[in-house]
Amino acid sequence: MKDKLSLGKLWEKFWETTVQVHRDKATGMLEFELNELENLFVVLIFGSFIGFPSPPAAMAMELLPYLEDELRIMVSRADLAQDPLGAIMGMLNVD
Amino acid sequence: MKKIAFFLGKGGVGKTTLSSATAYYLSREGRKTLIVSLDPAHNLGDVFEKKLSNKRTTLSSNLDGMEVDLQEWIGRYLKDSRDEIQATYRYNTTINLDSYINIMKYTPGTEEYAVLWAIEHVVKEHGDKYDRIIFDTPPTALTLRFLAMPTISMLWVRELLDMRQKVLKKRQTILNLNPEAHVIRGASKVEEDRIYGKLSGIQTRLSWLHQLFKNDSYLTVIINPDTLSLAEAIRIRHELEKLDVHIDSVCFNKAPSDGACGEEVKQSFHRFPIFTSVYVPTGLKTPEDLVKVEIPELVEDMERS
Repeated sequence: MKDKLSLGKLWEKFWETTVQVHRDKATGMLEFELNELENLFVVLIFGSFIGFPSPPAAMAMELLPYLEDELRIMVSRADLAQDPLGAIMGMLNVD
Repeated sequence: MKKIAFFLGKGGVGKTTLSSATAYYLSREGRKTLIVSLDPAHNLGDVFEKKLSNKRTTLSSNLDGMEVDLQEWIGRYLKDSRDEIQATYRYNTTINLDSYINIMKYTPGTEEYAVLWAIEHVVKEHGDKYDRIIFDTPPTALTLRFLAMPTISMLWVRELLDMRQKVLKKRQTILNLNPEAHVIRGASKVEEDRIYGKLSGIQTRLSWLHQLFKNDSYLTVIINPDTLSLAEAIRIRHELEKLDVHIDSVCFNKAPSDGACGEEVKQSFHRFPIFTSVYVPTGLKTPEDLVKVEIPELVEDMERS
């Protein structure tokens, strides 16, 4: 009786993990896209830093307080720029 | 009746003189009037022989005046942003941002933005207390830029809002498929997203300002009997028409008493009412001398607008 219960729980756990792995796989590409979008958004706002046309700087100033995470993405994205091919290959699980 | 009036024109044509004379005239007619100088090089105080500041000062009965201090406005604005950043950011991120905030003071566009928020502040704070608010504007270049600012910025805001919506939608999609996805930070709904909220706020304020310039303001361009000020007035008219803002009238100031040059002005601005103020040879030495400036017809037109 006791054995049966823990076996059931184990199966449940296994099932949960499997589902999560597949979910992560399914959304991986979307997550990459989202990261790109958020990066683009913040680059649009602070484009003046890298010579893009950008909205009035004072407007960027107003948005700045809420852009902490996006700024983080922009910086890490800049790191990624050293090896864009590698990043894409990693994304597509090509070894 | 349009409550707000702007006096535009090339430097030195008499924007301060005419706006002061108009404000003075209105106040003597019993209208409660506020005159505001937006020019970074203020001389409104000199006209009324009083020291003016960012706070309203009584100039005579029914007439108050203020000189908008743009540097103070920029400073206040940057301080707000800095405080907010300190409140929302994790400690280590803010260190590098300080220098960015400090150079903002000198970034092109900041001054125009400050003028806009100053106008918004004046109209929203003091609008109810006055029958009339008269703005004496800075020289053409800055004036045109701040009048254009709402239109240009709104294009940006629209694009950014659009983009933001896409980000939020994507976040929502990922969240639906995989509630534990590690990229999900912050909100995924439009109503909960602070950036979206802030952008919409900016959009509302900008379109309010655009409406103010377009529909609720009486714009008059001042011309002198010389080619340069006429050319500049024509340019102002065209630039404003591109923004869908239209001038209401033209003032021909310092006109020679023999009526010279009047024809050229009439030709260029035949669709607009033209009000002539003849040159005052004795000059204007005291605030009371402002009554010598001929503006009753201009005021009448303003009252009709």
